[in-house]
Amino acid sequence: MEKLSDLRFIIGLFFAIVGALLVLLAFTATYGPGFGKNLNLYSGLVMLVFGIFMLWLNRRG
Amino acid sequence: MQLDLHAADYAIISLYFVFVLGVGWLVKRKVKTSNDYLMSGRSVPLWITSLAFISANLGAQEVIGMAASGAKYGIMTSHFYWIGAIPAMIFLGVLMMPFYYGSKARSVPEYLKLRFDEKTRSLNAISFAAMTVFSSGISMYVLARLLELILGWDFDLSVLLSAGIVMGYIFLGGLTSAVYNEVLQFFLIVLGIAPVVFVGLHEVGGWDGIVAKLSPPMTSSWRYMDEAGHNPMGVSTGMLVAGSLASSFGYWCTDFLVVQRAMIARNLADARKTPILAAVPKMLMPFIVIFPGLIFMALPHFSSGFSIPVGADGAPDFNMALPSLIAHYYPTGLLGVGLTALLASFMSGMAGNVTAFNTIWTFDIYQPYFVKNASDRHYLWVGKLTTVAGIVLSIGVAYLAAGFNNINDFLQVVFSFVNAPLFATFLLGMFWKRATGHGAFAGLLGGTLAAAAVHGLTVAEGKGGWIAPVFELGSGLSHAFNMAWIAFSANIVVTILVSLATKPAAPGSLTGLVYGLTPKVTDEPKAWYLRPVPLAIAVAVACLILNLMFA
Repeated sequence: MEKLSDLRFIIGLFFAIVGALLVLLAFTATYGPGFGKNLNLYSGLVMLVFGIFMLWLNRRG
Repeated sequence: MQLDLHAADYAIISLYFVFVLGVGWLVKRKVKTSNDYLMSGRSVPLWITSLAFISANLGAQEVIGMAASGAKYGIMTSHFYWIGAIPAMIFLGVLMMPFYYGSKARSVPEYLKLRFDEKTRSLNAISFAAMTVFSSGISMYVLARLLELILGWDFDLSVLLSAGIVMGYIFLGGLTSAVYNEVLQFFLIVLGIAPVVFVGLHEVGGWDGIVAKLSPPMTSSWRYMDEAGHNPMGVSTGMLVAGSLASSFGYWCTDFLVVQRAMIARNLADARKTPILAAVPKMLMPFIVIFPGLIFMALPHFSSGFSIPVGADGAPDFNMALPSLIAHYYPTGLLGVGLTALLASFMSGMAGNVTAFNTIWTFDIYQPYFVKNASDRHYLWVGKLTTVAGIVLSIGVAYLAAGFNNINDFLQVVFSFVNAPLFATFLLGMFWKRATGHGAFAGLLGGTLAAAAVHGLTVAEGKGGWIAPVFELGSGLSHAFNMAWIAFSANIVVTILVSLATKPAAPGSLTGLVYGLTPKVTDEPKAWYLRPVPLAIAVAVACLILNLMFA
């Protein structure tokens, strides 16, 4: 419980979920011309990596 | 401009709400005393206090307003950061925190009570409490208007939803819950808005592309400041330095909303490092919040299909700079994140004000004037009920603002009179042991009157001049800067004169409250990068480099 209420866990979990969702959308949704697909893909990857990093800090700490 | 949200966007917004409330529920178990609830038991780790320090202020005014200023004034907007906020934050950490934290005061007004007297505290506490409720209500109003405009959401629904969520998590977990959420909000705002900057810069050809398309004064922060008439802000270098010294130091060094985030650190060294470390992300914020405004102005020069939205009067609507870029670029998914970032910025603005309000009300108004020696449980419940009352009052302000736009303007002007002289009182209080309670009180009143007089005698952009329009100033900003430095100076003069004419404080009663009467701190860490002063120097050098890069 102590680890779950740690802020790093909360932030990590949030961004891991949102990042994964964006990456998933990048491959499944249809996009018109423009930056749409890549925006979802790269922003999603950055959020996913950030989320996992925070979760890793939480496990280690 | 209308945005279309899809299931994925709603899912992200809902997930955020669940997390925000979940934080309140998770930290609830740790809250046992009024100190836990209103001061987080002074046990928050440094990285959290630092990020909360800037995030509490990262409200809508900053996120939407700085993009608007960026579009209107260009890169000169960075002065709010690189000559305003950063030096003030360093000053707070290095010179003022030892007295705030070391005095064991639970709030900024309580410091005034310890250093001066009861009436000075009350003056500050009451005006501050009124201001927090007002700001939180305005945040709510602007949020609901924006959602109405871009999403077609119902105004009442938006007000109730945002108020309900903020009330929920603060009621449950108090300050800790607000601070935790502020850190989450910080990352959300940065990660949710940075993609606009990346893709926008990519399309306009980077900084060089912006420089090529916009007029030179828009892309140099210092070069056109020799004369007020040469730059879009309408201020000169001297005015900027004097005005920003008084106004931004007044905000960052005395406003309990931000200072509270440093006062809950674990020890004095951490409390001092809080604003200094916070200055690092703070000095990079212009790239996230001002650049969208510059991109907004440069983008229509490219065949990007982007046009600048106009307001009801046909002039460009700068407040739509950031929302319109988000609408232009973001696909379903990231759009949900971008909108959540905007929602988060409004909610953090509200929550910061409500948590400052409940502490001030409980410790500085209720405890000294209503019920003096009750049990701690009693004050814990007063804190909780004040949270509810603060939110209800904010809702009232939101509807007041919706009904009477003039009241909003009027109150903003009145608060600026009260705020303008504040920094002088703390400066003299902390560094001049002869300053007395009567002196401080008279100085605050004198400074406020001076600010009102400046406002009444000068006109800028059609505002002010209600006594007699004697002077005409080039811009609203130069109006504000003039008011700030004149109020500051008036406060200094009045405080010194009245202090010298009144009885000094008893020797020994000021220990720990004033420079020269406070034992030197000895428990500092060894490594230089862990000590406040060397850190402050490193941060100041970095800030200087940023100033030169965009000069």
